[in-house]
Amino acid sequence: MTVEKQPSQTITILLVEDDAPTLWRLQEALVKAGFEVRAAANLAEARDSLAAGPPRVLLTDLQLPDGHGNALIRETRARFPETEIMVISNLGDEESVISAITVGATGYLLKDAFPTDIAATVHELVAGHSPISASIARFIVRRTQTAGEPAGEPPPGPALNTAKLTPREIDILWGIAKGFSYAEIAGHLGLSRQTVPGHIKSIYRKLEVHTRGEAVFEAVQQGLIQL
Amino acid sequence: MSGFAVIPVRPPKRWRLRVSTFRTVRYAVLQILIVVACVFVLHQPPPEPPARYALTEFSLKENGATHAVTLPHFTAHRFSMNDPPVYTGEFAWSEADARQAWSVLLPRFTNGAEVAVNGVVLLDSRRDSAANRSDRATPEIVVIPGSLLHNGANGIAIRLFVWGPITGFLDRVYVGPDDALRPYYDLRTLIFVTMPVVLAAWQAILAVILSIMWIMRRHEVAYGVLAAAMALGTVQAFVPTLAPPQSGHLGGILLASAPLEAGLVLIFALLFFGWKWSRAGWLIFLPGLIVAAAGVFGSRAQLREVFLFVGTPTVGLYLLLLALAVMQVAIRRQNFAILIFGCAVTIVLTCWIHDLLSVLSIVPDRRIFYSRLSYSSMLIAIGGALTWRFARALNQVDGFAGRLVVRVREAEEKLKQSFAREQERERAAALARERSRLMRDLHDGLGGQLVSIVALSERGESIAPIGDAARAALKDLRLVIDSMDDIGGDLMLALGSWRERAVAQLRPHNIALDWRTTSAQGLPVHPELRPWHVIQILRLLDEALTNAVKHAGAMRIQVTIATVMDDAGHACGCITVEDDGKGFDLGDDGMVPARRGGRGLRNMKKRAAQCAAELELVSSAAGTRVRLKLPYRFPDGDASAV
Repeated sequence: MTVEKQPSQTITILLVEDDAPTLWRLQEALVKAGFEVRAAANLAEARDSLAAGPPRVLLTDLQLPDGHGNALIRETRARFPETEIMVISNLGDEESVISAITVGATGYLLKDAFPTDIAATVHELVAGHSPISASIARFIVRRTQTAGEPAGEPPPGPALNTAKLTPREIDILWGIAKGFSYAEIAGHLGLSRQTVPGHIKSIYRKLEVHTRGEAVFEAVQQGLIQL
Repeated sequence: MSGFAVIPVRPPKRWRLRVSTFRTVRYAVLQILIVVACVFVLHQPPPEPPARYALTEFSLKENGATHAVTLPHFTAHRFSMNDPPVYTGEFAWSEADARQAWSVLLPRFTNGAEVAVNGVVLLDSRRDSAANRSDRATPEIVVIPGSLLHNGANGIAIRLFVWGPITGFLDRVYVGPDDALRPYYDLRTLIFVTMPVVLAAWQAILAVILSIMWIMRRHEVAYGVLAAAMALGTVQAFVPTLAPPQSGHLGGILLASAPLEAGLVLIFALLFFGWKWSRAGWLIFLPGLIVAAAGVFGSRAQLREVFLFVGTPTVGLYLLLLALAVMQVAIRRQNFAILIFGCAVTIVLTCWIHDLLSVLSIVPDRRIFYSRLSYSSMLIAIGGALTWRFARALNQVDGFAGRLVVRVREAEEKLKQSFAREQERERAAALARERSRLMRDLHDGLGGQLVSIVALSERGESIAPIGDAARAALKDLRLVIDSMDDIGGDLMLALGSWRERAVAQLRPHNIALDWRTTSAQGLPVHPELRPWHVIQILRLLDEALTNAVKHAGAMRIQVTIATVMDDAGHACGCITVEDDGKGFDLGDDGMVPARRGGRGLRNMKKRAAQCAAELELVSSAAGTRVRLKLPYRFPDGDASAV
C-alpha cells in the first residue's frame, strides 16, 4: 500500500440512522475504532450537520422518517465530491443498494455486521478500496447480459445503465459475483492485483447518473423513456 | 350384435340394385328420346330451290353403256377418274328468260363434277378444295353465259369423278334464274362449308387454351389429350384437299385423322373418368396408324379398303365405347355435366349411324354427312365445359383461400386467448409453487429461529444466544432472498455471495476460509437450476460450515469447487468442504449417531437427495470432509420423493 493510513481521529463520519438501537450500535463500533462520528436520525438533522462542514464519510440509511436517503446521497455527492458515501442496509438487497449506487453511493454496510467488520469496511473505503459485494456484482453483470437484448419492457429491478462499462470491468464483476478473490481475478485476467480496486472504483463512478440531463439521456438510451 | 358400433349406413343390396336399374332405364329412355329427336332433325330436307327448276331425268353413259336415270343417283363404283360417268340431260330456255342470268346449281355430289352446257365446260369442282371433301356437302353454282343459251332445249352434261372412299353420287341438278337459285346455294354454303370452318377455328382456340392448362398442370393429362384431339381436328379442317392425281399421300393421312381423333376423345373420356393410363392404351391409336400407313405406302384401292374396313368401324366402335363409358359413369355419379356429355355422345353416335347408312345406301338419302359437324360441336361443348369447370375450380380455390384466411385468423385468435389463459394459469401455478416453496424455506430456517429467539428472551437468560439466533435468522433471510435471484443457472453466482456470508460468519471465530476454484468457470451452467435447488445446496453448505464451527472446533476450513467427470462422461460440479477439526464418529450406516450433530447431517443427506446430488461424508480425528457431487441435470421435482 503506497498511501499510509491517516490517523483515525481526523476521519469524521456522518451517520444517518433513524432506528436508535442500530444507531447506537454502529456509533459505538465506529467510535471504538477511533472515528469521529456525527449522528443524525433524519434528513433534516443530516442536512444541518452537512451545513457545518463536509464529513469524510457519509453512512446513511435509506428509509428515513422525512425522506429517502438517496436525496441526501445526491446532495452530498454534488456538494462534497470528496466525501465517501456508503449505504446502511438491512439485507444488502440490490433493490435498494443499486438505486443508491446510481446516485453516488459506494457499496453498503450491513446493519448487523460485526463491529470489527464495520470499522474495517470504513477504513478500506477511506483508503480508496471501494468494496463491492458478490450479490451487487451479480446484479450488475446479469444486467449487462440483458442490455444487448432488443428494447421491450425494461428488466425488473432498479434502473441501471451498464453501457459505459468496459469488457474488462465486466470480467472483474463476473469474478466478484462468482466469489473469486481479487488476487484470483487478477490472475485469471492477467492483471496486477493492485489495479483491481481502481477498476471497481471506476465501475462505481460509471454507474452513477450525474445530472438530471444525463439521467434523461441515459433513460432514453436504455429505452426507459420513449421520445 | 355387439350393440353400439357405428356402421356406415348403406342401403341393402337389393334396394341398391333397384336404384341402379331405375337409373339405367331413365338414362336409356333419355338417350332414346334424343335419338328420336336427332332422326327427326336429320330427316328434315336440306334447303332446296323450287322443284320447277329441278332436273331429274338424265341419261347416264357409263362403261360404254347408256341408260336413263333419275336423280338423285348413286354410282356403283368408287373410282372413275379415267372414264367418268356422264349424265346428259336437257332443259328448256326461251328468249323471255334472257332478262335474267341463268345458273346451274349442284347441291350435292361426290366426289367431283364437271358441268358443260351445250358442250361448253362451265365448272370443274375439283378446283375447289372445299368441294373435294366428301364429308362436307359443298354445293357448286355456275352462271351460264347468255350467249350459250338458245331457245328451246339446251343440253347439259355432267361428268362425275369418283375417287372414293365412297361411291359416286349426284343429287338433283337445278337450272334456273340465278336469283332463284343463289339464296339456296348461299344457305347451303353457310351450313355445310362456313360452319365447319367456324367450328374448326373454335376448336383451334380451345386447343390452345387446353394446351396451356395441360402445360401448367402436367398431371391433368386429360386436358392434354383433348387439346391434341382439337388440334388434329383443326389441322384436318384446314388442310387443302386436292383431287387425284395431285392429292398423293395426304388423302390417306386425312382419312386417318378420323380414327385418331376418335381414339383421342375416347382416351380423354377414360382419363377424365379416372382410368389409369396403361401401355396397352397405345393400341387405341393402332387403327388410325394403319390407315395412315396405307395412305403413305399403299395404293389408292388399298387405302380405300383399309379405310372402309378398319377406319370406319373403328370410329363407330370408339363412339360406342365412349357412349357406354359415359353411360356407366353418368348412372353411377348422377352428375349433370356427365349427363350432358352422354347426350352429346348419343347425338354424335346417331349422326354417325345415319351417315354410315347413307354411305352404304341402306337408307335412301341425299348423302349429307352430319357426324363431322356434330363431332366438332361435341368437342367444343366438352372444351367449353372443361374451361368452365377450371374457372369454377379457381373460384373455389379463391373462396377456399378466403375462408382459410378467416379460419386461420379465428384459430389464431382462439389460440392466443387460450395461450394467454394458459400462461395466466401457468403464472398462477408458478406463483403458488414459489409461495409454498418460500413458506417451507422460511419455515425451515427463519421461522424456527424467530421462535427460538422468543423462547430465549422469555426465559430471561443470558442475552448472547438471542443475538446468535437473531443473527442466524437474518442470515437465513438473506439466503432465501439471495437464492430467489435469477442467476441464469450459474451456481457460482450463488456461491459468490455465500462465500461473503461465510467469511463474515467465520471471522468472529477466527477461522480462516480457504476458497479454491480449480478453473475460472468453476461449475457447469445448469439452465434447469431452480431457486429451491440453490437453497438446498446453500443450506447444505451452511450446515457443513456450522458443524465445522460448532462441533468440530476447526481452525481452518477449505472449500474446493471443481468440475469432474461422472461415470457417463458428463461434466458435473463437485463442492468439497473440509475442516481440520476433531471429526466425529459415523454410524455403521454412514449416518451419525443422533446425539451430536446428527440431525444436521441427516438434513444434509436429505437436501442432497432432493437435488439428486451425491453426498459423501468422511470424518476422522484429522478432520471432516463433506463432498457434494452435483447431478448432471437437476431434477424438476423432489428427487428424493421418487
